[in-house]
Amino acid sequence: MTIATEREAAASATPVRPRRAGILKRIIDHRYDYLYVAPAIIVMLVVIAYPIYYTIELSFFKTPANLQMKDKIFIGFDNYVTVLRSASFHEATINTIIWTVFSTLFAFLLGLAAALSLHRAFVGRGVLRALLLIPYVVSAVAASYVWKWLYHSDFGVIGALAVQLGLTDQPINFLDNTTTVLPSLIVVNVWKEFSFAMVMLMAGLQTVPEQLLRAAQVDGASPWQRFWHVTFPHLKGVSMVTVLLLMVANFNAFIIPWIMTGGGPAGASDIWITQIYNIAFGRQRYGTASAYAVILFIVMMVLGYFYVRALTRGDDARGET
Amino acid sequence: MTNSRDREVDDGCLNRRQVVGYVVALGMAASLLSGTAYAQSVDLSKWSPEYVRSIAGTEKVDTAGDCSKIVPLDYKGKVSVWWTGPNEASPDISRKVNDEFWAAFKATYPNIEVDNQNIDYNQLLDKLRTALLGNAAPMVVRLQILGGIEFSSKGYFQELKPEDVGYPTADFWPGAMKSVMYDGVPYGVPTNNETMAFIWNADLFKRAGLDPEKPPATWDDVVTYSKQIHDKLGVPGYGLVAKQNAGNTPFRFMPQLWAFGGGALDEASATPTYQEVEINNAGAKAALQASYDMYVRDKSVPVSALTNTQNENQNPFIAGQLGMMIAHPAEYAKMVDLASKATGADKEMADTVVANMRYGLIPQGPERRAVVFGGSNIHIIKNDYVDGGLDEQAAKALVCFWTSPEWSTKLAWVDSNPGNLRGFKTEWMKERLDTIKFLDVTTSMLPNGIPFPVIPEATEIMNIIVPDMLQNALTGKMTVDQAADDAAGKVKELLEGM
Repeated sequence: MTIATEREAAASATPVRPRRAGILKRIIDHRYDYLYVAPAIIVMLVVIAYPIYYTIELSFFKTPANLQMKDKIFIGFDNYVTVLRSASFHEATINTIIWTVFSTLFAFLLGLAAALSLHRAFVGRGVLRALLLIPYVVSAVAASYVWKWLYHSDFGVIGALAVQLGLTDQPINFLDNTTTVLPSLIVVNVWKEFSFAMVMLMAGLQTVPEQLLRAAQVDGASPWQRFWHVTFPHLKGVSMVTVLLLMVANFNAFIIPWIMTGGGPAGASDIWITQIYNIAFGRQRYGTASAYAVILFIVMMVLGYFYVRALTRGDDARGET
Repeated sequence: MTNSRDREVDDGCLNRRQVVGYVVALGMAASLLSGTAYAQSVDLSKWSPEYVRSIAGTEKVDTAGDCSKIVPLDYKGKVSVWWTGPNEASPDISRKVNDEFWAAFKATYPNIEVDNQNIDYNQLLDKLRTALLGNAAPMVVRLQILGGIEFSSKGYFQELKPEDVGYPTADFWPGAMKSVMYDGVPYGVPTNNETMAFIWNADLFKRAGLDPEKPPATWDDVVTYSKQIHDKLGVPGYGLVAKQNAGNTPFRFMPQLWAFGGGALDEASATPTYQEVEINNAGAKAALQASYDMYVRDKSVPVSALTNTQNENQNPFIAGQLGMMIAHPAEYAKMVDLASKATGADKEMADTVVANMRYGLIPQGPERRAVVFGGSNIHIIKNDYVDGGLDEQAAKALVCFWTSPEWSTKLAWVDSNPGNLRGFKTEWMKERLDTIKFLDVTTSMLPNGIPFPVIPEATEIMNIIVPDMLQNALTGKMTVDQAADDAAGKVKELLEGM
């Protein structure tokens, strides 16, 4: 009897969640909201949803060089099999993973270091902040051409400097060597996008309570301890979003590798996106390229899911309380 | 099952219609080859620098009169056209002639409204493919010699032969006419044709202990000379170009491949069938080995060859840092242009290089002397795919004007040669010969020209498979034999429709 009473008491103590309204009622309640966003939704359906649908459809067809698109031949999943079985896909997958992981990692770390440095007040901080933003605002096409010449294996500035400083006997072969080409491109990519991470993390740093940092300082915490136990936990959310956005951008990065090497030499800097472009527009195999693009799309959707989850985690938490 | 051209879908085997088509095409090609020497305005059997000079300036032409027979001069209409014309990097004369052309067309056909888009060489094909998918193409397009076959085979182009715009087929290079034929049917008119030649820096040759006035006679000599220049002077000898996905690469490598007796297919033979894969025969492997020897063994060519196009070789050449290379007829004009823009010590060096620049024939190999037969063709797109519909009369007026002896000569001023052979007899050709250095040498390579295979798969073979083969061998990813065999496998797969 006592036990039963306690159980009932415990049950009654559990807060009862209000029943959520049905989807139809919610739509009706928000009908004007939907009306206002309808133009944007329609545009998105036309410019995003239809191309996605068409790409998926095309991925099941063969598009020979002598046939128009409307005469394409249905071949089921053959394009997917062709892509997944090809040696160049495996090579490009490894390159894509290396490119994405290292570009993201170094851009984030460099951006974090820059953000922490610029968070403190010092003379010339505004100028330095503006200077560090330059790579982000420079056109990727222009930057790629400039870096191509800086790296040039015969007449590049970096190679010439290395020779003049006595570091090497002859110019360094950055882009015409299968071993060095991908790291060289990653350096350019990190240079181009670390400012983005810096801006995001600088915004995140504004949310770290100053009182907590002062309290930790009074308690004798070292700078590292203050960073690790106070600052970094407050940056977790923005760090997650930054890393995911960088990963998505890097998976889709086309301009730098395409302009600087075209995927060469001998495929050493070929990543998924350059290979898709080449299969579609270099070889006119639109069906195979579409299957490849669908595979990339699936990967992007997985990343997108985690991105949305990271972005809405706070909202969910607020909604549940 | 039929396609948009009402032809049966290719299942990889030759059907009866295709066999008939090939026979007709071969017959036409043979008749072109045998008949042109008699019927055309110039005699190709006598072709030489002296002959070219002797006929120049011997004929007056009346472009408006010629075109009025096809389309009345008071015709009212509209024409849209896409092409690759002069850009900021082009010599001033090219831009000037271009402006004069459009002004002259406007003066001749004042009631034809022109929508003219000058599109970058590397973007034109992709843009046209996209536009055709959306039925938003222009009425007229001028494409590089290899570009049109893909669209002809897909049925996008209207049948078009020189006679349709008032000129006899015999007045165009047989090789050029081959490039506009698909299944025995003509789909365009050649506007201009050129072959490349060989340039070298006589000063570097002299300092390297070579005869400054004598180019390498054979491809083996190229390997030897390149090494000698590099070893003696420390600069690259030969301007090798081996970038992936770049049209420049096959234009430089295929002459070497053909000279050694190789080929992508059998395009170098007198009557090509485009069925035989020759990219891994002994000649092809020898040619690939020669490139390997220069890049890997001797290190006598630019290290950046794997990412270079021909554009990246121009600056080292004008700076006296490159001994020799295969070059476009317009290279001299470009070098003069670059020298005129240089300042200080650079100017002095550039002027020295221009003074020491020499043109010669591309070296020969054990089998032949060869060069890519290049140029452009103009096409009319079918009504169904044209944005706003085709105005056929306006389109024909423009094609007639463009391919006339007068304008096919003027528009090719520094870059090329008239597609209409009567252009060689005009006063403007004489003026070109008098003012453009080495023009007689570059035109004399024309009879050695071999067109790329006239099949829809040619773009992938030339722009993807050939550069990949070079890169696989030069980076050591594969041996020379493996790279050639790998390329042959890819060509076979492509032809089999896999």
